[in-house]
Amino acid sequence: MKRLSRGLRTLADCAPIANAKAPDRRMRTAVSRAKRTEDFAAQQSFDRAVAKLVQATPVSTEIQEWFANERMAEGAKRSWKKTALHPAILAIGIALVVIAVVAWITFDEQMHAFPGTATAKKLLNVAAMTRPSEFEPMETEAGTLNDLFFMKYRLEHYDVPPGFSQQRTIGVRVFDDDEAGQVAQISLAEKRMQLFLFPARRDSKSGKPEEFEGWRYVDQDRWTGVVAERNGVCFMAAVRGGEKDLAPYIKKPKE
Amino acid sequence: MTGEASKAQDIFQDTLREAAFLVANREPPADRHWFFREARWRCLDVVAHGVQPEHGANESTEVSPRAPEQIEQLEPEQLAIWISAAPEPQRSALALYYLDEFNYREMMSMLGLKLTDLSRAIASGRREFQAWLNTTVPAAASE
Repeated sequence: MKRLSRGLRTLADCAPIANAKAPDRRMRTAVSRAKRTEDFAAQQSFDRAVAKLVQATPVSTEIQEWFANERMAEGAKRSWKKTALHPAILAIGIALVVIAVVAWITFDEQMHAFPGTATAKKLLNVAAMTRPSEFEPMETEAGTLNDLFFMKYRLEHYDVPPGFSQQRTIGVRVFDDDEAGQVAQISLAEKRMQLFLFPARRDSKSGKPEEFEGWRYVDQDRWTGVVAERNGVCFMAAVRGGEKDLAPYIKKPKE
Repeated sequence: MTGEASKAQDIFQDTLREAAFLVANREPPADRHWFFREARWRCLDVVAHGVQPEHGANESTEVSPRAPEQIEQLEPEQLAIWISAAPEPQRSALALYYLDEFNYREMMSMLGLKLTDLSRAIASGRREFQAWLNTTVPAAASE
C-alpha cells in the first residue's frame, strides 16, 4: 500500500470487507488501486477473518427471538401526514396549487372572454374615474336617448336595451376613445349606475362587427359590467359592485 | 463494545424500549442507524461507569498474511474482550467496521468522525490486534 497516495490509502483502510459494492467512486478507485498491492490482500484476508469471527459470536436465544422479525429494525416509514408536512413537499404542493389557481383563472377568463372584453374593461375604468360634472345634465328615460345620439352625434343603433330603458338619467356625454371609437356614456340615478354604448369590435379581415350572443359579465377594480351586442353596437351597464347588482336588470342572463 | 454479554443485552433492550417509547410518542426513529447510534451512546455510558481498562501504548505490527489462521484459533469472546478494551473512538469504529454492515460514510455519520480519524482508528486497530494475536496465538504467528 506504500505506492498508494495518502488519500487513497486512507480510503483503502476503510474498504468494504465483503465483496460489497463500494459506496462511491472514490472508494472504488481506492480499492481498485489497492488491489495491486500485496498489503491490501493481507488486509482483506485479515478483515474477512475478523468479520467471520464476529459473525460467529453467539447470540442469546432471547435476542434471537427479538430479531425473529428482521423488519423490526427497519427505519420507520413516514406516515403520509408527516410526508405531506415536510417543508419541501409543502412548498411543492403550494406551488402546484398556485399554478393550478392561476391556470384556472386564465382558463376561466378565456371561457368568459368575448369580442371587446378589453374595451369593456377600459370603460369600467372610465366609469370609476368620471366625475359627475363631466356629464351634460340630462333628466329623462334612458330609452329615449337613442334619438339624441342619432340626431346630434349621428350614432346609429345606440339603443339602450329594454331592461335599462326605463331608468332615469342624470347626465350624458359622448367622447372619442382611441380604441373603442365613439362612446356614449350615460349616468343613471339608480345605484349610481353608468351605461355605455360603443361600437362592437370589428373583424380585421372582413371588417364586419364581431357578434356574440347574450349578456357577458366583466369586472375590473371592484366595478362590474354586463355587456350585450346588437346591430354592431355594444351596450354595457356598469356598477360599483358585483354581478348580483346587475342580475335583476337582465331578464334572461346568459354566460 | 461492553465486553460483557449481559450488559450488551441490557443495552439492547433499553434501546428497543427507547425506540418503542418514541414510536408511542409518534416520533419513530428515522432510520436503522438510530438504533446503532443510540446503543453506542448507551455502551459508552455503561463503560464509563464500569472498570476502566488501562490504555497504554499498545504494540502494533504490520498485518500478517497468516493472520486468518491465527484468528481461526480465537473464540469470539476473546475478540469481543479485545475490542471492548480499546479506547474510544477506536472501539466503536472497530465494532461497526467488523459488523460488516455499514460503509465508511455511514460509519462516519454514526460515530461523528472524519474520514482520516476513522481510517486511522481502523488501521491502527488492525496492527494492534495483529500484535496481540502474535502474543496470544504465537505458534501460528511463526512464519
